[in-house]
Amino acid sequence: MSAAMVNAAGNLWVNRLRRDFRASLLLLALLSLAPLFVTTPYSLGILIISIYFALLALGWNLLAGFTGQFSLAPAAFAMLGAYTTALLDYHLQAPLAIGIPAAIVSCAVLGWLLGKVVLRLKGPYLSLTTLSFAEIARVVIGNSIEFTRGDQGLNVPTLFESRVGYYYLFLGVLLATLVGLYLLMKSRTGRFWLAIRDDATGAESRGIAVVRYKTLAFALSCAICGLAGSLYGTFSQLVSPELGLLMQTGLIIAMVVIGGMGTLTGPIVGALLVYLTSEWLRDFGNIQMIVFSAAVILFARFLRTGLWGLASGRYRSKAGSAKP
Amino acid sequence: MLALDLLVNGLIFGLFYALMAVGLAMIFGVLKVVNFAHGEFYMIGSYAYVLIALKLGIPPWLALPLAALTGGALGWLVERLLMRPLYAGHGSWSSSKDEYAVVVTFGLSLLLVNLVDKIVGPYPFRGPVLIETSRFSIGPVMLNGQKLIAAGVSLCLLIGLALFIKRSLWGRQIQAVAQNRLGASLAGIDATRTTSMVFVISGMMAALAGALLAPLINPGPDVGAFPAIKSYVIVVLGGMGSIWGGMAAALILGVCESFFAVYVSYAYRDAFGLMLLILVLLVRPQGMFGEKGREL
Repeated sequence: MSAAMVNAAGNLWVNRLRRDFRASLLLLALLSLAPLFVTTPYSLGILIISIYFALLALGWNLLAGFTGQFSLAPAAFAMLGAYTTALLDYHLQAPLAIGIPAAIVSCAVLGWLLGKVVLRLKGPYLSLTTLSFAEIARVVIGNSIEFTRGDQGLNVPTLFESRVGYYYLFLGVLLATLVGLYLLMKSRTGRFWLAIRDDATGAESRGIAVVRYKTLAFALSCAICGLAGSLYGTFSQLVSPELGLLMQTGLIIAMVVIGGMGTLTGPIVGALLVYLTSEWLRDFGNIQMIVFSAAVILFARFLRTGLWGLASGRYRSKAGSAKP
Repeated sequence: MLALDLLVNGLIFGLFYALMAVGLAMIFGVLKVVNFAHGEFYMIGSYAYVLIALKLGIPPWLALPLAALTGGALGWLVERLLMRPLYAGHGSWSSSKDEYAVVVTFGLSLLLVNLVDKIVGPYPFRGPVLIETSRFSIGPVMLNGQKLIAAGVSLCLLIGLALFIKRSLWGRQIQAVAQNRLGASLAGIDATRTTSMVFVISGMMAALAGALLAPLINPGPDVGAFPAIKSYVIVVLGGMGSIWGGMAAALILGVCESFFAVYVSYAYRDAFGLMLLILVLLVRPQGMFGEKGREL
């Protein structure tokens, strides 16, 4: 492949990424208007939780969509982040100004270690190991009654009472995460991740430090999940091992697969769509998980690019540029 | 003499684990993917058994093969509808099969759990026993009739399956496809049909494990999660795709677990297998009996 072709392919990717980023900013701008129309605390709470899921979906997408590492532990890291903050408060009465950054750091470190552990593993082995990690973490937290109060959960102080304030806090964190991810994906790091995802051996032979970039992705993704979990804990003021249930991971995967894996807008669209629909479906009995798991199977089987891929694909073909 | 009791009961549970794990190992053998919905085959089996016996009033001995048929049908459907893109060479996932399989089977597992939860209800059922006995003891070993019969049936099934795979034409075709799909089809073996067969057998075995255990575990919709995780541990321990290794590993895990639960910690007994899984993947990823040089 000539240098010109490589550059052309790279430019195509950068153009797509930029369009993707702009679309996600537009989405966030629309979301920032939501408190004008949504006034009941209950509905605002639902929006806050869907942004919490959007953060987790972006975090998982960084691992699965951008580096091809199908971790089954995102919900477990949200739980670990929430527990870091909660335990610091419960045992040491540490203020949230310490507790929340501590959650980010502890999850980044744990994620980095887990990334090291699964480094040699591919595909189903990686999924199995992260699944085991997630279940062990949940069992340990649920059973260490003296240290964590087990299934009863822990109370967490809140940052502030205002729901609107929380909404904008979550939205701000989502914006910061999005911008950070965009800058990363635009830089060398992002290209290296994609190269590793598409062909790890080829990437290594071209001199990319595969080990370092894979573990970096793990640490970052887990830090995002930990931050989301920690903030969610202060919002709901109660953390319990249920945050780390595999069902929650299933929900996150559903969001990313339905929204569009390997994009920035897709996971956010998916999270909003899935969580808001699930609230709406609650009126029809507990059929949310049936609908979403069926949707995941159908999307994975027939529409791999997800909703955002479908929408942007239309746009692209209208714009006349070649398919990648 | 607690140790002897633990040993026998551990071996019995190992037999049930083996029923689950052979199916998983066979699927891995022919498709090189992990079926994350395997626990739900087990769950469907135990529900089929309980509902057929209780609601239709069919005697438990007949409900058992019917539950196996249900599991087999489920396995066939899963292969026909969801697994074909893995080897039929179409679809945009063909370059990332593992990821497709993880997403689809994980989704299927959630779908089946929630369907059963919605349709049948979230409450556990008490399964009818095959034979009515009180607990009795042989020497220091405490047993009950159901457990003994279930263990006997499992043992017969495992031996039957092993003979089927080793000796019969179809069994040899399965071995051939597992070794080299392309080579097998060049030799005139219908690889697609063989894969279907593997899924049917896996579904039947897992469903039978569920049905046999139904009176002992009182199945609820989420009953498949831990047996599934245990069978992942077993296939990794025994070497993915290695049926003999899987059977041996199942017995070892059953015994280790029953000792761990008593001598170390009861609360963490389910985490024990998972720690073992991580350890094995780190230290000896090809498993105890797995072939060397396998790509991970």
